[in-house]
Formats: sequence, C-alpha cells, structure tokens
Amino acid sequence: MNAMNPDIHRLLDEAFTGIEMTPDAQDLKEEIRANLVSRVEELEASGTAPADAARRAVAELGDVRELLGETDAVSARTGAQAATGYTALALRNKVRPKPGFVVRVVIWSALIVVGVTLATLGATGVLPLPVGPVIAFLGVASTGLGLLVGDALAQETTANHPMPQNRASGYGLASFLLLYGLGFAGLVGLKALPVWCVVFAALGVIAAIILFAFLGATQTNRHKAWTRAAHADLPPNRFEQEPETAARFGIYTAVIWIVTFAAIAVLVFTVGWWWAPVAFVAGFAAMMLLLARMMFGPRKSR
Amino acid sequence: MKQDDAFAADLLRGHTDTIVLGVLRRGDRYGFEIYKTIRDATGGDHEIKEATLYATYRRLEKDGLVESYWGDETQGGRRKYYRITDAGRAVYRGNVAAWVATRRIIDSLLNVTELEAKESQQ
Repeated sequence: MNAMNPDIHRLLDEAFTGIEMTPDAQDLKEEIRANLVSRVEELEASGTAPADAARRAVAELGDVRELLGETDAVSARTGAQAATGYTALALRNKVRPKPGFVVRVVIWSALIVVGVTLATLGATGVLPLPVGPVIAFLGVASTGLGLLVGDALAQETTANHPMPQNRASGYGLASFLLLYGLGFAGLVGLKALPVWCVVFAALGVIAAIILFAFLGATQTNRHKAWTRAAHADLPPNRFEQEPETAARFGIYTAVIWIVTFAAIAVLVFTVGWWWAPVAFVAGFAAMMLLLARMMFGPRKSR
Repeated sequence: MKQDDAFAADLLRGHTDTIVLGVLRRGDRYGFEIYKTIRDATGGDHEIKEATLYATYRRLEKDGLVESYWGDETQGGRRKYYRITDAGRAVYRGNVAAWVATRRIIDSLLNVTELEAKESQQ
C-alpha cells in the first residue's frame, strides 16, 4: 500500500459538514473512507495526480445527505408496515407446506417410531432378536431423524427462508450421528452390548456435537424481512425495561448455584456421592421459581 | 444511442439488490470491491452509481439478507465487509428463477431471434 492520500480525509470531512454525527452517520463515514482510499489508489495507479484523484473519487460519491436520508424513508415504511400487526403480516406472508413434504414427514416419522420401538424391544429381550438387527433398527430410526431434520430445514416457511441444501444436510447428518450415538449408549445401558461399545456412542455424540457447534457458529440469518421488522417492533421484555431487576436476577442466580455446588460438595464428602443429584435438583427448582418470579412477578409501580 | 444507455441503465438498476447478492455469493466483499466487480462486468458503461449501492447495502442489511463486519486493516481506514446470509441466498435463488422466466417472456414478446440480436450488434 502506498502512502495515503491526505486529501481524502479533508474532502470526506467537508462532505459530512453540517450532518449530525449519529452512530449511523459515523458508521457510513468510516465505510465510505475505506472505499475512497481504494478508489483513489486505483485512480493514482492509472496515472491521475493525487489531488485530482481524491477530488474525483469524492465527486463520484454524490451527495452524502441522500445516502442517509434513504434509510429514514425505509424505516418509516417498515414502521408503517409493522403497525398493521404481527398476525395480519403472518397471514399475508403465509407459505403453505408442500404436499410432498408433508407425505415425506409422515414417512420419516414412521421410520423413527418403528426403528426406536423395534430396537428397544430387541434390546430389552421382549423380541428375540440378535444384536445385529437391533443396531440396524437403530440405524433406521437415526436415518429417519436425519432426513426429517434436513428436509424440514430445507423448506420455506412463513417466517423463514429455506436453508441452503448443504447446510440442511449438515444438520441432518449431525442429528443422525447424535441419535445413533445415544442409541448405542442406550444399548450398552440395557446390557445388550458389551461395555466397550460405549466407544461408538462417544464417537457418534462427539462428532454430532462438533458438527452442531460448527453449523451453529457459522449460521447466518434466515428470517424473512417482515419477521425481522416485526421482531424489532415487539415491546421490550421486563429486563430491558427494568435493568435493576436484571441485575437482581444475576445476583440471585449466582447465589443459588454457589450454594448448590457447596451443598453438593458437602453431601459428597459426608453422606456419599449418590446424594449429589438431590442438591442439584433443589438448585434447579429454586432457579425455576426465581425465573418465574422475575419474569412474571408484579410490576413495579410507575 | 443515448436512449439505449438510459434503457439499459434502468434495467440494470432494477436488479441492483440481486446483482449485489450475486457478487456476495462468491465471497465476502467490501463496498469498493462490489462496485468494481459490477463496473468491470458492465465494461464501464451504464454502471450502477455508488450512492445507489450504499442505499442497497443498508436495505439488504436491514432485511437480513446480508451481514456486515469491519475488517482489521490498520492502514487507510477499516473496510466494512458484507457477507450473504442464508436468507440472502434464498432470495437470490428466487430472484434468479423469476429473472430467467421473465427473460423468456420478454424475449418472445419482443420477437427476439438470434438474427435480430446479431443485426442490432452491427
């Protein structure tokens, strides 16, 4: 990168004179700055004098005020749209499920039910099945779940755009691995398989977790524009309205779990480790009560 | 000839959103790269104005079709990069399908044959 053309910053400041520097305007200014730098470099590379290059690049931009005015018009429009109500919007944007998809969902669900049922009956010894077919039935159920998840995500719905095929298949594969892994763990638990087979369970579950984590981390927006506009317009929840309630909630949460873990430690060292879940359950129950009280408790008088 | 240009520019401008989504489908880009890709594709003629593009980015981002993030350039200002979302991909596919269908209709209504296309080139 060659030396920066100092005129860019001066001209950009001039273009933004008299504009109120809202975060939005500041954002746009910084975005424009980097683009101007690239454009000026291009002009200079083609032999334009630095001063001319900067002036020309800024002139090509036109009036900055127009760029900022545009968004106000857009937000006014979506605001008016949101005013007609979520239900009305949902109705107007309604997408019916495709008949083929409905039929497929029934088939995939049937696969899951049949696979899980037969595998369970085989593993518990109700049906006299060798272990091979039991694993195969587990595979049938997992395949059903994988197809169900992948197929459902690839559909367009009223609120969401369809997920691209590859990503939807990824989620399907992760679900398949998860159910297969958990199924193996279940078979080991029911003593239908030797203990070392828990390795397969671990492999499946860990692979599923890795895949889910990757897909989740790289997930982008899939909501339709009208849903986003409607969500932006929803009334704020209690924690946004009353920050002190949110702070209180945070402190209570910390107290509950510190006490719970202290109780677990005490129980483990005094009466034995199998009492630890009792403390956990108590902590969880206290947490739920707190949550209910915080979210739906009596409002502070205004 | 001036009128031809205005007609073509109008047609192009009507598809700015889809064109930008199409550029972003190939990878994350910042404003000037997008502008340059479009300008190079049009051969420098009747390009889409930068001002139009800024408005497009903001609208696309508001609708959730693209996401933006700042690059980590140390010199010359940080670049604002745009990334297409799953929603953006879906809209892009839908618009392309609509364009292909519409193009066929317009071609047939305007009686565009290969011969005529060649004549107008000369």
